Amino acid sequence: MVEKEDQFSFTSINLKKAKGFMKMYPKGKESGAVMQLLYLVQEQVGWIPELAMRYVADLLNVPHMRVYEVANFYTMYNMNPVGKYLIQVCRTTPCWLCNSEEILDAFKKRLGIDIGETTKDNLFTLTEVECLGTCVNAPVVQINNDFYENLTPEKVEDIITKLSNE
Amino acid sequence: MFVNMAFNLIKQSGGIAIKKAISSSPSKGLFTAAVRSSKETRGLEKVYEKNEPVLLETDNVIGKTPLMAVQNYIEVADKVDISSLTGVPEEHVKSRLVKISKATKNVMQSGTDNTHNWVMEFDNRERWENPLMGWTSTGDPLSNMKIEFIERADAINFCEKNGWKWYLEAEHKTKPRPKSYAINFSWNKRTRASTK
Amino acid sequence: MFRTTLQRTAPSIRLVVTSGQSRPNSNVPPSKLEVFIDDKKVHVDPGTTVLQAAALVGVEIPRFCYHERLAVAGNCRMCLVEVERSPKPVAACAMPVMNGWKIKTNSELTRKAREGVMEFLLMNHPLDCPICDQGGECDLQDQSMAFGSDRSRFVDIDFSGKRAVEDKDIGPLVKTVMTRCIHCTRCIRFASEVAGVDDLGTTGRGSDMQVGTYIEKMFLSELSGNVIDLCPVGALTSKPYSFTARPWETRKTDSVDVLDALGSNIVVSTRAGDVMRILPRLNEDINEEWLSDKSRFSYDGLKRQRLITPLVKDNKGNLVPVEWEDALVTTSRALINANGNIVGVSGGLSDAESMIALKDLLNRLGSEELYTEEPFPISGSGTDLRSSYLLNSSIAGLEQADLVLLIGTNPRYEAPLLNTRIRKAYVHNDLEIALLGSKVDLSYDYEYLGESPATLKDLAEKRHAFFSKLSKAKRPVIILGAQQFERQDGAVLLAQAQQLSQELSKNVDKGWKILNVLQQVAGQVAALDLGYKPNLRLSAPKVLYLLGADNEAILKNKPAGTTVIYQGHHGDAGAAIADIVLPGAAYTEKQATYVNTEGRAQQTLMAVQPPGMARSDWKIIRAISEFVGVKLPYDTLNEVRDRLTDVCPSMTRYGDLEQANFLAQASDLAKDLSFKSVSTPLNVKQIALEDFYMTDSISRSSPTMAKCIQAVRKQKESKYYESRI
Repeated sequence: MVEKEDQFSFTSINLKKAKGFMKMYPKGKESGAVMQLLYLVQEQVGWIPELAMRYVADLLNVPHMRVYEVANFYTMYNMNPVGKYLIQVCRTTPCWLCNSEEILDAFKKRLGIDIGETTKDNLFTLTEVECLGTCVNAPVVQINNDFYENLTPEKVEDIITKLSNE
Repeated sequence: MFVNMAFNLIKQSGGIAIKKAISSSPSKGLFTAAVRSSKETRGLEKVYEKNEPVLLETDNVIGKTPLMAVQNYIEVADKVDISSLTGVPEEHVKSRLVKISKATKNVMQSGTDNTHNWVMEFDNRERWENPLMGWTSTGDPLSNMKIEFIERADAINFCEKNGWKWYLEAEHKTKPRPKSYAINFSWNKRTRASTK
Repeated sequence: MFRTTLQRTAPSIRLVVTSGQSRPNSNVPPSKLEVFIDDKKVHVDPGTTVLQAAALVGVEIPRFCYHERLAVAGNCRMCLVEVERSPKPVAACAMPVMNGWKIKTNSELTRKAREGVMEFLLMNHPLDCPICDQGGECDLQDQSMAFGSDRSRFVDIDFSGKRAVEDKDIGPLVKTVMTRCIHCTRCIRFASEVAGVDDLGTTGRGSDMQVGTYIEKMFLSELSGNVIDLCPVGALTSKPYSFTARPWETRKTDSVDVLDALGSNIVVSTRAGDVMRILPRLNEDINEEWLSDKSRFSYDGLKRQRLITPLVKDNKGNLVPVEWEDALVTTSRALINANGNIVGVSGGLSDAESMIALKDLLNRLGSEELYTEEPFPISGSGTDLRSSYLLNSSIAGLEQADLVLLIGTNPRYEAPLLNTRIRKAYVHNDLEIALLGSKVDLSYDYEYLGESPATLKDLAEKRHAFFSKLSKAKRPVIILGAQQFERQDGAVLLAQAQQLSQELSKNVDKGWKILNVLQQVAGQVAALDLGYKPNLRLSAPKVLYLLGADNEAILKNKPAGTTVIYQGHHGDAGAAIADIVLPGAAYTEKQATYVNTEGRAQQTLMAVQPPGMARSDWKIIRAISEFVGVKLPYDTLNEVRDRLTDVCPSMTRYGDLEQANFLAQASDLAKDLSFKSVSTPLNVKQIALEDFYMTDSISRSSPTMAKCIQAVRKQKESKYYESRI
């Protein structure tokens, strides 16, 4: 008895985008679009479920293992489900010199989770990342696709309150 | 018990000159090709034909083989048979079959250092597990008799000398295959590597 | 990326040769390059790698990831050697030589590089040697002794320690301890290139890189056991063999595998009279260095269901163990009373010596009825012309083909190593393949021509669309599966295939043989060569002598009133219906001749003694002949082989391929057949992987094969299983 499972598929817009990505590559070599398609999956679902990797592999006509390999290689592909807001705290030297640890502790205390964990209401996931590139306004945090710079623990509280109410 | 360990891995070099070939060999009736007598002498670089021992001229050999201990050889007219002198029981001379082959490479490893020699082995007789210690027991005095030779002809001559029936297994030559890192990146061929 | 020229990657290497060795050197053959390896000059073809050039000289450069039969990866870096005037050492396995290079394989730099690589590899390698099965035959052990440093600088154990990785479950055959993995990626390349099953890969990166299937999946390939040989360390080992023996205590006997018709060369490792494991042996013409799983792991079936005493049915109908003398007396009495009405049947695992002995015995007793279990058409040329039942292009010759047409066969499971050849040509030589028959998952893409026998008729009469492609091929190959001869129109299929080959032979390369028949069992070709008739039709003989014949389909129609004498090694279907059972020897227990499907004679050697009171098969028949009164004229194995040589001279020329001819004449003889086709589709018996594991009496009694079937069935129910048919 084969286990029944939910299928994954791109939304029609995403499918169009996917086809567009695949067109960028020479005929027969569309498998080059694997990274873009995986990022599309992440934009659609927030993370990359294993089902989605198989779907992408079938779309590109490559063995499943090849897509698993690519997805696992890069840290920006989330292999585990994430909350609505992915909080990525920068931990590299410039931010650290500007008290990023305090910011990190503020997040941890307020949300009640540790690095890598998600809050119970599935709203926030906390991760630590490398330099985000805006060292001039350290400490920096990236939440989804937005940067929050020049942080202080009070600002952290404000941000979380604002995001929780949305 | 087990055969004297000195027999194992004795490397016998070339340098045996046999003027008269082994024409009347006991290997007639064996399923190997008959040994052809040859009056020609061959040098050290030669192509071995299947099932043919190589006859070396003494003069060509002296000074060229690595371990030349003896300078001159006695010319022997008839076939040498020392089986009565060696002390091997007669049943183990008459009823045993020797296999001469190039040493097989172990597939689990990639080293080939021990595959260059010609090995002579006897047919397997019964071996059982000793009830006391679990070691392997056997009633066969020649069970560990595995001698390595550098030249195929030496192995054959040794068997002939001792009166054992022998057969030869041809050498398996590996074909040199073209290897190229670039074919992993060929544009349209199937050798384009999809992975590591 | 694409390989840039040497000038761009290492501009400091000047291609101007030093004085004394200028290029217009009359000693260098015009198309070859001159290279110096440790000051030894060697002339090589352009494109030869440094590693190959060194091997020509006799210098073996250590390596982990490089394998002759897999793509070059160049990731272990153990093969680094110094090239004069190069700033960096060069990976010998990947770098093609340039003219005039001086390569130093034992210089200071080279030695330091090797020690460094060894140190890195050993840093994260667990101290498992005492519990690792690879100990004693481990590349890492040997190379660290030969090329590694003598002292360790590893103090990390007091801080972060060594990396550890979870074990992966990839099936009941391959045991994985992934902590020991050195990421050489040989298994990944094997799975991708040779097996065609892209299930292995590397996930993660850096210290977290893990080789595996990522999701828990069984490595569903009939060649999965070969990764055990390939893995240079003890990461992938044989599960049935785990913890049973060390390589230095085993004795290795070269032999030949008989569980399929290819006759792959094997090495039987034994210890104290037990078979410990079976490994492949190099044979470029048949199996290269690979071995199928059935041949590799069925050896535990050699200990189960064995016949170890002669058995005779008593008046209650039970088989009772008796002494040899009683059994032989009973047998001879039955044979004498039969008055010539005896039928002999040879099974798939019968060797040539016992078959010739049986034939001689029965002929002397007045019977000509000797059959093989496996069918073959007798109309047309029948078995008179050898080329009708052989794989004429030879296994190695398939690599040169440019188009293969498979008819009613699934070479992937019937002859896995033939399939690897076809796949090798598919990958390297752009071979095209077409399949006519059941749609199966071959490990390569093919053109599907349907499964109707009418297609073959159309092809033979040049009506089909595919014929144009066939006629354009310079070296086409047609492989017809022998199991199609079980059909009523088997003769017609063979005739049509012969006709098609004759049509195509007009424009092919000279000497190229097109038509091939892929046999299913090891004993068939030898039987047909010796004069056994195919197509057993059980009438009502007085005595039925089964020489290892276990085909249930035929035997269930045993007529009443027949005395059945079964001589074999396993208690299978044949022994179940027998009145007298004579225990014989299995293929690891006798020195016997087998002829493979190409027509190449090979011999198995005795690795262990037959168990209990079992004896070599031909000796039993020789003993019976004495009791019956028609003593056979041979007493020793050599004399039996002389007799074999009388009947079939090629059968004792071991290792040589005896080509068969008269293909045109065979086709002519088949022309006058009345073409009565049957329209049932050309199905094959072995479609899925679970059909592969148990096909003969030895593999049927093997618990490992049973576990494999269970595991494959379980994997098929998993959501990760993708059917590739």
